[in-house]
Amino acid sequence: MRPLLVTGYSMLSALGRGRQQHLDALATGTTGLGPSPIPLEFATATGDVKIELPELPTDMLPWSTRLARMAAALLQDIDEPLRRAREKWRPERIAILLGTSTAGAETTEVAYRQYVEGGKFPRDYDFQRQHTFGAVLTVVRKLTGCNGPSWMASTACTSSGKTFATAQRLIAAGVIDAAIVGGIDTLCTMTLQGFNSLQALDRVACRPFRSARSGISIGEGGSFALVEREGDARVLIEGIGETSDAYHISAPHPQGLGAQAAMKDALVAAGRKPEDIDHVNAHGTGTHLNDTAEANAIKVVLGTDVPCVSTKAYTGHTLGAAAALEMAFSACAIEEGFLPPAIGDGDIDPKIEVKIPTEKTTGKFERVLSNSFAFGGNNVSLLVGAP
Amino acid sequence: MSIRVAVTGLGMFLPGFPNLTSWAEKNELPADDPRKPGGLAYDRVNRRRASQMGRAIGDAVAEAMAVANVDGVTTPIIVGSSIGEAGAMLGLLDKMWRENEPMSPAVFTVSVHNAASGLLSISMKNKGYTTSIAADYDTPAATLQEGLGLIATGTEAVVCVCADEASPRSLLEHAPHWDMLSAAVVLQPEGTEGALSHLTVDDCSENRSGISIAPAEFAEGFSHNPQAGMADLVDAIQRGQTGTLALDRGNGRGYRVTLDN
Repeated sequence: MRPLLVTGYSMLSALGRGRQQHLDALATGTTGLGPSPIPLEFATATGDVKIELPELPTDMLPWSTRLARMAAALLQDIDEPLRRAREKWRPERIAILLGTSTAGAETTEVAYRQYVEGGKFPRDYDFQRQHTFGAVLTVVRKLTGCNGPSWMASTACTSSGKTFATAQRLIAAGVIDAAIVGGIDTLCTMTLQGFNSLQALDRVACRPFRSARSGISIGEGGSFALVEREGDARVLIEGIGETSDAYHISAPHPQGLGAQAAMKDALVAAGRKPEDIDHVNAHGTGTHLNDTAEANAIKVVLGTDVPCVSTKAYTGHTLGAAAALEMAFSACAIEEGFLPPAIGDGDIDPKIEVKIPTEKTTGKFERVLSNSFAFGGNNVSLLVGAP
Repeated sequence: MSIRVAVTGLGMFLPGFPNLTSWAEKNELPADDPRKPGGLAYDRVNRRRASQMGRAIGDAVAEAMAVANVDGVTTPIIVGSSIGEAGAMLGLLDKMWRENEPMSPAVFTVSVHNAASGLLSISMKNKGYTTSIAADYDTPAATLQEGLGLIATGTEAVVCVCADEASPRSLLEHAPHWDMLSAAVVLQPEGTEGALSHLTVDDCSENRSGISIAPAEFAEGFSHNPQAGMADLVDAIQRGQTGTLALDRGNGRGYRVTLDN
């Protein structure tokens, strides 16, 4: 495939806002996970965004939600490359392709609780401006002036990975010249209770690939990237694999066949060989099944020598935002020349046969595979490369 | 968007009209007939898991794929829906806030927006691309644009299906109520044998002049559904219309499609 040029990216998570705060945490092995800010009747760790988010302009206050304010923060942090892109491309040739899993569920669940308890929704609650998948698209269009094709991908935990693939196709087809891609998701009670019902939450901070792992930690945040037909690329998306397990709605294929296919497809699309890959930013949720299946898949496709790290131990699983955030972490590895240590309590599971470095690794990392797998058996693998 | 593609399959489910043929013949089921979708594209297990909207998607997909004679194992499916599994979400919220009971893990797993596309891929044993997208009243245009992107980069056939369940009255108490509908088209490269029509998706415009194809004569409940534009497209092609058709009923950004033979 024709590589996709990433000319800017922004990051927001439990580690902070912006690239430098993320790099500082990754370099020192400092997790952002901690007690849940949402009251719960069970123990779990979460990765909540602790900084104050920018408010929307006055005329857009009816759209103001935590999700929309996260989007505003992420847009501010790619303001400079976006300004250059708007000078270069017509507004209708810049697409807005974002991913989310929860959309405005955080706002709706608070409003619905008031409705149940008092018979009325809060006066300022507006489902169409605050809940729907399209609500944030409106906010991003208004804040940026970009007026190209715009939609939300919502394939659970692969959502934001899909947006890179769509942008690549639309640029290759000559439909657009640039796109704001990426994803955002917020913590909400419904998600936490849902994963708890699946017995998929670790009671402490998640421990991907460790023997004692017992589930995920949910996080929030996101990452936006500006991708363009031409320009000064920070990194390239060289290949993308999009597959389905066709196996089970919520469990991965035990041998990770769909994951294998996604990684292989990304390699083929990029014209790369397995030995060209220097690092895997693993999906690595911390559940027994997921980590085992993914490690098996990586072993089959890439062998056992490629260092694999799950940054979910730092940020928690940011669901629909995870693929974009982890693309950004992959870009950081390429640009900064280090891999964060794989953190989490306990020893690495001896049944995990791929290399999980528990110390910071420095070196030259030119090509990184970033994996994301989701409910529905949906798989996306992004091959991120140095320009 | 100037990519021109062939439309080789059509499908539709409306309560009362279980397929496109019954709609075309205005052969509405009697009011006392169960008007629930059958979920024809699913296997038995996943049909049980699918919501009513998911089953309506399954019916429209099955009909469109049969008309186009494309293979469920390999053909990508794009599911567009504005509010997705909102009914399942409300059920979960009721469990949390009204009944104070634990959630059902089975309900939680099918409350995600991509539940239908996931269940379809499992049922059809499709190990390739599938996705689920949303863009409020522009979802029909977005679904077609995603499909055009795939066709333009070498995919042989794509199913684009749009559906929304009936509007959740408690959350949309001041908006016009809409009823569930589902509509699907199969897109293939320009010139594919057996094409029912060809289409291009035009850039969006607030100027609504130049629309030459009238929307389908749905009951009012259907016309407010955010996916009405996709059903209008299916209806227009089924009627053999050519010209320009709006892909929304006035609430979107003004995308339109041009149909020709």
